[in-house]
Amino acid sequence: MTVPHSVRIAALVLATTAFYGYVGQLVPQKEVQPPQETVLKADMTTADMVKIGGELMVGKGLCLTCHTIGKSGALRFPDLEGVAARATTRIPGLNEIEYFAKSLYEPDSFIVPGFNPGMPVINKPPIGLTDQEILCVIAFLQTLGGTPTVTLQTSHAYYKAPGATPAAPGGAPGNATPTNATPAKGPVTP
Amino acid sequence: MNRKLLFVLGPVTGLVMFGAVVLIATFLTNREYKEPYRAPAAIVDATPRAAGLTDEKAAADATNRAKPYVEVEYRAFPVVGSRVAIWAVAQLHLLFAAFVLAVPIFAVLIEAIGYKTGDRRYDRLAHEFTKLLSVSFSLTATFGAALTFMLIILYPKFTNYMMSVFSPTFLPYVGLFFAEAFFLYTYYYGWGKFHPLVHLFLGIGLNVVGTSIMLIANAWLTFMMSPNGISDGGALISTWDAIYNFTWMPINVHRFIANVAFGGSVAAAYAAFKFLHATTDEERAHYDWMGYIGNFVAIIAFLPLPFAGYWLAKEIYAYSQTLGLTMMGGAFSWLFIIQAVLIGNLFLGANYYLWLGMGRVEGARSVQRFIKYLLIAIAVCFMVWATPRSIIATVAEIRAMGGSSHPILGFLGVMSAKNTAVNILILTTFMSFLLYRRTGKTATVSWAKAGHAAQLLIFASAAIIVISLGIYGYFVEASVRIGLSVPQVSSVLFAMVAITTIDVFLFRRPRMTGDVRWGRMPAVSQYVLIFIAVTFTWLMGLMGYVRSGLRQHWHVYGVIRDTSPDAFTPTLGFATQVVSLTVLLFFVLIGFVFWLASLHDLPDYDPVHSPHSPLLAADGHKAERSS
Ligand code: HEC
Ligand code: HEM
Repeated sequence: MTVPHSVRIAALVLATTAFYGYVGQLVPQKEVQPPQETVLKADMTTADMVKIGGELMVGKGLCLTCHTIGKSGALRFPDLEGVAARATTRIPGLNEIEYFAKSLYEPDSFIVPGFNPGMPVINKPPIGLTDQEILCVIAFLQTLGGTPTVTLQTSHAYYKAPGATPAAPGGAPGNATPTNATPAKGPVTP
Repeated sequence: MNRKLLFVLGPVTGLVMFGAVVLIATFLTNREYKEPYRAPAAIVDATPRAAGLTDEKAAADATNRAKPYVEVEYRAFPVVGSRVAIWAVAQLHLLFAAFVLAVPIFAVLIEAIGYKTGDRRYDRLAHEFTKLLSVSFSLTATFGAALTFMLIILYPKFTNYMMSVFSPTFLPYVGLFFAEAFFLYTYYYGWGKFHPLVHLFLGIGLNVVGTSIMLIANAWLTFMMSPNGISDGGALISTWDAIYNFTWMPINVHRFIANVAFGGSVAAAYAAFKFLHATTDEERAHYDWMGYIGNFVAIIAFLPLPFAGYWLAKEIYAYSQTLGLTMMGGAFSWLFIIQAVLIGNLFLGANYYLWLGMGRVEGARSVQRFIKYLLIAIAVCFMVWATPRSIIATVAEIRAMGGSSHPILGFLGVMSAKNTAVNILILTTFMSFLLYRRTGKTATVSWAKAGHAAQLLIFASAAIIVISLGIYGYFVEASVRIGLSVPQVSSVLFAMVAITTIDVFLFRRPRMTGDVRWGRMPAVSQYVLIFIAVTFTWLMGLMGYVRSGLRQHWHVYGVIRDTSPDAFTPTLGFATQVVSLTVLLFFVLIGFVFWLASLHDLPDYDPVHSPHSPLLAADGHKAERSS
């Protein structure tokens, strides 16, 4: 007995869609949850901040979709290994904390030589890290070729910690208050 | 005792024993002492029942009257949830819309060819294509209305926001829809009733209106991906800027082409459906030809799609690197592996159909021997293209691998290799076409030899340029590498144009060594056409998903956040299941459209001579054949 053509066509349509559906099951299955609003405790130590900063760089901050840590060769985005050491030399007069703050709040104001602009503004949507979260990220960045010094009381050109010491403690030599950094333009806090 | 009885007795005993155990167990538990139930004193209400009821009602009325009006953000759709519901409806709307927009494009072209050449066959073919339109148009409108209502019901706050940005575009949209109905029905019902030029004008009007509808709808959905013309807080600054956002034009172009390819493939599937059910050789010849044309349209439109796709990708990167990387390097990178499987299948199917088609022509052997090389080329390119570019990994893994690309896989998977593979795939398919064109023909012009040599030279140099640039791409800075795709693409385009031009002159007055015998196609070729159509539909579904999935937890990227329970991005496995389901639904509905369109060809119902009488059925066929 021969199977009617309409039945065969239906079987083919079914088999083809089922096959593609199956291919979809073969690839890694990952559900991406929207970023959680974590509450940062006010009494975090610098070590805690480094840990949180590392998580933020993978997760909510999306940094590692672009950046690499410890890769060389023809790169599309600056590698971040040892960036804390380089950061002190990028813009004369800026210590690494001020430089990182500038890279994150106003990325297009200074472009790393050899790269194209393209870094998003980190405190604005879609990434939208809070000022405290950015401090944690800076703490983590400091570990890449330096020692972390920031605390939640650290202020910089884009953020004034409530009732905190005016200048950033620690950092590399020659880190007077930034001369050419624009003082926070308008309200930076959301 | 005989064996049969034993077989029956075994299970019966088992059941009886099970029953006994249950009985004993219930008996035992029932005997255990239990405290009789008493309502706890606190909830025992002393009020007589009637009084209690009136009190309760009064209290409910009072709260109802005092209820303040609150605007809701979301409402839930039963069972499957809002996301899946709106997803399926939107996708079905898009598929039918794509079909309704695409068919008039090539129907008018074919009609114009018929008018120009005076060949009535083309006119009939164009008419046959438009037969599929009217029911599809109603289905498009139905799904469009369903989509609108569901947006208002399920996503009221977001819909309201879109209204605030795009309010000036909605009424023109409705007006255009009306005009579309006007042109579509006059074009279809007016076939052969007007002067051909008047009729062609109606067809062109239909296309202009249809394309404008698409441009407006694309403005809404591209705005959601790359919002523009609004303040940081989302307030409207300029509607025109909101329309003309970063991805609007690239999506207009990519979609327009994809629609034509999709429409062509579905029309070819219709022809295949008719071919398989055909009873006469003439019918088979006609539908073989129709399927060939449909597939031709699909493939021609398919070839530039990758370029349009890369342009779109480039604009997405230009709008936001983050968005671009989410697409190509982040959570969605595996989706593009699935896309590569689909596109590989499309290329393979299309080439296979062409090779089978060479069997229509006598004396095709000499050409058919090239096919194995083409097949190898396709297989290799396919493998390169399907290699993952980068893999979602944890920080530790990324550190271990020294970057987000796998050390070996990443090497093949970088853009450079993919560009190269796609370009070679396109060249290969183009060669299949060329070979198909020349089956059964021999060039007779005096410079035939030189002509063939020139063609081969151009082909080889294009392939060499593409491949060597692809290799060179590994050794240069990223910013240089991105620029390399331009010479790659232009050498492929140049090769296609140059080789076609030579071919046209080369085969000016060919010696025919074999006739084309339409209809002499194995049935499997028709199933290939249907396979291509399903694959295309699935591809549309998948890419529709990537477009909206890309925004992740945003309704409007970076502006309006998705706070519904569906804000998370589902697994690809889940997404592909939804896509499969909508594709199946689409084919059930389009099967209905096909069936309706072919009712036309059936003899009218006759209460006296039932068509089921075998004698008369045979008669009916005879009558059909002679008409
Ligand atoms: C969409 C891609 C992208 C994302 C996401 C991204 N960056 Fe960048 N980043 C760049 C680019 C491009 C540059 C170089 C251009 C420039 O200087 O603006 C850069 C530069 C930097 C620099 C300066 C490096 C140097 O050597 O001086 C730092 C620091 C940095 N990014 C940190 C981060 C952090 C932290 C995050 C996450 C919160 C992040 N980036 C997210 C693309 C990105
Ligand atoms: C290689 C050949 C390609 C083919 C055959 C192809 C095909 C398609 C099809 C059929 C659609 C559906 C249009 C719709 O939404 O209805 C589509 C949309 C889309 N494609 Fe491609 N595409 C190709 C390459 C690419 C590439 C390289 C990219 C980007 C990296 C891309 C990105 C997209 C996106 C984002 C959409 C959604 C836009 C929309 O909904 O209109 N495509 N594509």
